[in-house]
Amino acid sequence: MTRLWWTQVKAVIRLELKKTFFAKRGLWIYAVAALPVLLFIAYAVAMSHEQHRTTEIARDGERRLAYQDLLAIKPGMTKQEVAAILGKPPLVFHWTERRPTGPNSTEEILHEDLHYSDGQNDLYLGLANGKVQSINIHEGYNLGEDAIMFAGVFQFFFLRLAIFFGCLGIFMNLFRGEVLDRSLHFYFLAPIRREVLMAGKFLAGLLATCTIFVTSELLQTIAFLWHFNPQTRDLYLYHNHGLEHAAVYVGVTFLACIGYGAFFLVAGMLFRNPIIPAAAVLIWEGINPFLPALLKQFSVIYYLKSLCPVEIPVSPGTPGLFALFISNADPVSPPLAIVGILVVALLALFVSSVQVRRMEINYTSE
Amino acid sequence: MAVYRRNYRPYSGAQTAEWSRFLVLFRYSRRNLFRSKIQTGFFVLCFFYPIACLVMIYLAHSASFLAKLGVPSQLISIDNMFFFRYMSVQGVLAFLMTAFAGPGLISPDLANGALPLYFCRPFSRAEYVLGKSSVLGILLSQITWIPGLVLFTIQGSFAGASWTWNNLWIAGSLVVASLIWIAILSLLAMALSAWVKWRIVAGALLLAVMFFGAGFAQAINAVMHTDSGHFVDVAYLMAAVWIGLFKVDAENSITAFPALIALLVYCSFCLWLLMRKVRAYEVIR
Repeated sequence: MTRLWWTQVKAVIRLELKKTFFAKRGLWIYAVAALPVLLFIAYAVAMSHEQHRTTEIARDGERRLAYQDLLAIKPGMTKQEVAAILGKPPLVFHWTERRPTGPNSTEEILHEDLHYSDGQNDLYLGLANGKVQSINIHEGYNLGEDAIMFAGVFQFFFLRLAIFFGCLGIFMNLFRGEVLDRSLHFYFLAPIRREVLMAGKFLAGLLATCTIFVTSELLQTIAFLWHFNPQTRDLYLYHNHGLEHAAVYVGVTFLACIGYGAFFLVAGMLFRNPIIPAAAVLIWEGINPFLPALLKQFSVIYYLKSLCPVEIPVSPGTPGLFALFISNADPVSPPLAIVGILVVALLALFVSSVQVRRMEINYTSE
Repeated sequence: MAVYRRNYRPYSGAQTAEWSRFLVLFRYSRRNLFRSKIQTGFFVLCFFYPIACLVMIYLAHSASFLAKLGVPSQLISIDNMFFFRYMSVQGVLAFLMTAFAGPGLISPDLANGALPLYFCRPFSRAEYVLGKSSVLGILLSQITWIPGLVLFTIQGSFAGASWTWNNLWIAGSLVVASLIWIAILSLLAMALSAWVKWRIVAGALLLAVMFFGAGFAQAINAVMHTDSGHFVDVAYLMAAVWIGLFKVDAENSITAFPALIALLVYCSFCLWLLMRKVRAYEVIR
């Protein structure tokens, strides 16, 4: 019997995959998945351009500088002392400020902005009357900052919005789409158990969402790493847990597809209008940080956040409410998080299977 | 009369005046709108906050009553910030109302191939769009600027002519802010429903455009180290325009004028999308 069911599931998957991947209605999901990739490509292009400019500035400098040379400059140093360490600056801007000192008197202050580079990092010096006032080092490659930026986009945009709406589009369409196309009765007339049909449709949806969003995630990682030079890329991938993080992100994407997919499959059967469940789930997932510990467990994002490899630090000036959004106050252990998502998904699938058995088709009410 | 003797005779009755033909669509579409109990209930819900504002205005001018309650009279101040908050709340409700009502206006006509039936009559495409958008326009006006002006008038009657004269610009801001929001919501909802042709999905897409736009804007800002990402967030742009119109002291990385230009660009784009789809016939390849 199990063998027959599995054959039927495979047949349903085969039929559904074509519809899911090539449906005109679902084309926007590709756009949703492509947006973060395009964003990281734009970032890589901008960073490559910046890197090229930095290299040119370093080439124009009087001497070849190392990062240690840039760090040697301290506030209060004179222009001559700076020139002794770094040489003649390749880029200089200067202007004069007339600062009032009394009712009828002004003081002239000569401001100079010097720009040095070691080929990777930039040093911006602000001088007033020949003395260093401000020092700003702009690091070409800041792996820590970049990893946090990637994690932020993944957690707050890709997981909560792109995958969420992508799953909404695909999984709600599995049954509602058939009803609107007036083709569900073909499935129901076939000698196949409805639970088996539901399982087949769910697996087809899961396969489609996973293919689209895991590919998007991989492309994002490639685009993100594109602008690094080979040494920095190796450092990030093999010594800064970059490879491990990339694998975890793919895993989290897969689990997000399972969790949200199961949610929207059941929502597609219970509701005619997806706005209501979509808005409800979106708000529920959004207010998750403010919920009591018990209620937190009945959401997908709680477990997904716990699995994310990079904790996003809360900057000191962030208001308390926003800080709560960013931080993950009481994360669960990874095995528990995986089990949690699977349990939530199985619960949703159980409700779907009960619902699909009771389902009656009435095309005229649509 | 025998059937074979019946032949075509053109309509010879009185015709609706040309200028008011779009109102025919309005009349029928509005009737359909209030068939849904949820929609009617939500429409009633939209008046709760204006009523609460009305009570606040009354309390603000009842110092003795507030004193009895032990509430300092300075706690409630009716100023530009009060009307800005009113506009923000009603703006959100207007968006939700559009998500329910907007997509059902055009998509059934397109999905069922009903447009030739409209355009075989003395009825232009512009009149069709105007007629359909007037449904949302009038509906959303009833929950945004009309109650706002009522509140302003009541406040004016309590506070006196000098307050009314000095703050007359707030009334103007209420109307302009509402009309811009109504225009963008109506055009967005109709353009989406015309292209998706599926009422339910169009509603969900409208929701997605707002939330997704906000999320994508933040992602652009974080990755590119810029504030220009907000230009893809319609709600943020609208908030920037409202902040400018109500002269509110709030930090916003985009000023009112560029935000307004961006909103006008969005409106034009939606109108272009809409006009591409609203045709008497469609060639399907």
